[in-house]
Amino acid sequence: MSKKIVIDPITRIEGHLKVEIEVEDGQVSEAKCSADMYRGLEKALKGYDYLTAIHITQRTCGCCPYAHAEAAALAIENALGIELNKNGKLLRNMTIGAYKLKDYLLHFYTLSSLDFLDITAILKYKGSNANMNQLREWVKKEINSKAVFPSALFLQRYKAAYIENDKLNITLIEHYLEAFEMMREIDKMVKIFGAKSPHMVAIEAGGITTRPTAERLLEYIATAKKAKEFINNKYLKDVLKVAKEFKEYFKIGKGVDNFLTFNTLLNLDGSYEFVEGFSKNFEFEDKIDPYEIVEYHDYAYYKKEGGFKPLELEELEPLNRQEFESQDKKYSWSKAPRYKGSVVEVGPSAQVINTYLSGKNQKLNEMVDKLNKELDISIKDYNSVMGRHLSRVIVSNLIIDKLLEDAFRVDEGELGFVPLQEVPSNAKGIGLTEATRGALAHFIDIGDNGYIRNYEMVVPTTWNISPKDDKDISGALESMLKGTKIKDEKNPIEIARVIRSTDPCLACAVH
Amino acid sequence: MNRREFLDMVYKMLVVAGGVNFFSYEELLALESGEIEKPDIIWLHAMSCDGCSTSLLNSEVSVLDIITRFANVIFHPTIMAGTGENSLEILEKYKSNNLIMVLEGSIPLDMPHACMMGERYIEEWVELVAKEANLAIGAGTCAVFNGITDMEGMSTGACTLRYFLEEKGFKTPVVNLPTCPMKPHHFLYTLFYYIKHRTTPPVDMEFRPKRFFTNTVHDRCVYYSDYQEKIFAKNIGDRGCLFKLGCQGPVTSSDCVKSEGDFDRFNCIKSGHPCIGCGSENFPRKIMFKRSDDERELKKYKSFTRI
Repeated sequence: MSKKIVIDPITRIEGHLKVEIEVEDGQVSEAKCSADMYRGLEKALKGYDYLTAIHITQRTCGCCPYAHAEAAALAIENALGIELNKNGKLLRNMTIGAYKLKDYLLHFYTLSSLDFLDITAILKYKGSNANMNQLREWVKKEINSKAVFPSALFLQRYKAAYIENDKLNITLIEHYLEAFEMMREIDKMVKIFGAKSPHMVAIEAGGITTRPTAERLLEYIATAKKAKEFINNKYLKDVLKVAKEFKEYFKIGKGVDNFLTFNTLLNLDGSYEFVEGFSKNFEFEDKIDPYEIVEYHDYAYYKKEGGFKPLELEELEPLNRQEFESQDKKYSWSKAPRYKGSVVEVGPSAQVINTYLSGKNQKLNEMVDKLNKELDISIKDYNSVMGRHLSRVIVSNLIIDKLLEDAFRVDEGELGFVPLQEVPSNAKGIGLTEATRGALAHFIDIGDNGYIRNYEMVVPTTWNISPKDDKDISGALESMLKGTKIKDEKNPIEIARVIRSTDPCLACAVH
Repeated sequence: MNRREFLDMVYKMLVVAGGVNFFSYEELLALESGEIEKPDIIWLHAMSCDGCSTSLLNSEVSVLDIITRFANVIFHPTIMAGTGENSLEILEKYKSNNLIMVLEGSIPLDMPHACMMGERYIEEWVELVAKEANLAIGAGTCAVFNGITDMEGMSTGACTLRYFLEEKGFKTPVVNLPTCPMKPHHFLYTLFYYIKHRTTPPVDMEFRPKRFFTNTVHDRCVYYSDYQEKIFAKNIGDRGCLFKLGCQGPVTSSDCVKSEGDFDRFNCIKSGHPCIGCGSENFPRKIMFKRSDDERELKKYKSFTRI
């Protein structure tokens, strides 16, 4: 007999996600991911000026707005044939790269670590860190207060096997708190050239509008050095410690072995820090064709069924309330994108696996080889819960070094912005980049007088939390969940760990 | 940072946000030590992007400090340890007579199924929490003016928090904190004002705190004198007022350029970019940033029906 378990809401992710699983003999036999929010952003862009796409698509998501800004800017630059100047390229890297780092810290510490560390260990803290003492006293007071939910935000959680080593718990809690301060610092790196965060205004088609004064550059570099220390010494070590405590998680949450990535973080010689490609069963193809993407609507709450290529649809018709309530086949607002007909996983694991297989970034391969030896794993184990956490920390280590290198290359005082061209008519462009959560594609069709005729976004989380397609084949996260063993059906922490390892961003997925 | 230094920092921030008119340092100490009662906060996400949460997370006084020192945040989807049922249990069972509800994002009136949580429409949760709440805060432009959730061609029928509460007959006082994302010091000011007075700070017709939204971005702009002397920038990077590049400062109320301390160090204008009006009821406009010789008419679209 199988038993149905619904987990809704999945907290500590971005947005509204419901996951429904069927459990047979303690093992997941079927899984459904439902994206529960729809706004209709991309088609609403029709009739808006082409440059507004950069600002409006950013607002798809408050966690990874930079990636949409970049993808929209790249699509416009591609449509109009704009090439950035040197400072434009560098400053854009420095702004989006910093944001990526902030996101990775947010994911590991704020969003995921509470699934591994035991927060109650704080009661045993005896050190002198003021923040830790504050937290301990607060939890103590709450527990003694006989409130219905003492420290509801932290103590209302799954009963599960968390880390037992008190010393490690204390270190992780300390870093959990410190990460907030670090994210605030890195956020400053974003603001120095991006103006504000989230929703940077200074990223435009043509570069970055902020002039790189010596004052701004120096502050950026000083902050980046602090971030580097935290990432090298704390983030990396914490992930390794957690990985060693939960070694079995290198075998849990394994999805399909298909990975899709796009180029990101441009080097001045025209190469990229992380490269585009498609790998199937660890065979790497270095060319991709974005028009090989097809999005299926068969299980998504839209009227038209079937598969559609980017920009093929001019209207997207959502089900109305009556239609929604009277059907039970469709179960998500997310479409089901497929690349060359395959389900693919996107995200940091894909980035590490594809760049590793490409052999184009020696530093990445060295780091991966070294860590694999230390943890006794292979590149194939990156397709797992722990593999995804490990990939993020690898990517972060490479990014912070690149940002520092780039910052020293900026020509002080020179504007990194190419003046706007005249209002364009009838131009199409594609913007491909890698967001925190994976491969992101924007497609723009500019009609008369600069107004958008059609727009399409194919977003990382859409790939990962995709529902079934026209052939009833489950999406990436759904197949990761299948086969997962659950110890306690009332406290399915294993499921939560698998889901959070993909860092779902629902506002992005549906937009 | 020790406790004293930390409280000094918070107080400095209150000075900047304008809270010292009503909140003394002694009161801050009393609040932190529990002598003054801390309000409970339930934070809900409707059709939102989490940007306002992110913005608060990166604030000088982090959300964690608010949680443990100045208020009891009992529900916040992005931070809480709970998952699924055990998180919803909090909303269903928690009783409070000192509750602030915060809503990020707008509510889809015409398509309630466009935003769901725990297999129920989000509007049901908003209603449930509003019944208990003593104050409702609309966080960010979507919750206040529908923002990007009410563009031309959209079909969800997005409505604002204030509109929704009025429609349902709630008398809960509302404070609106637009700008996309919401500014952390606006939130802190509102929170501390409530702690002291158990009511909303002085607000304008749009229920925005007068302290921050009386003047436009333009009024306080660093290029205001250039505007008066008609020195206009033709391109990004030129000296002069950014009006001809599409700047919406003159029609956008907020303290972006005026706010002091750390809040004023980085802003759109200082980054050489015209204001895109993210705190305005017209956001998003059909044209935001343009060439100075662009002759196209600045069309605007807003239904203004459910604000």
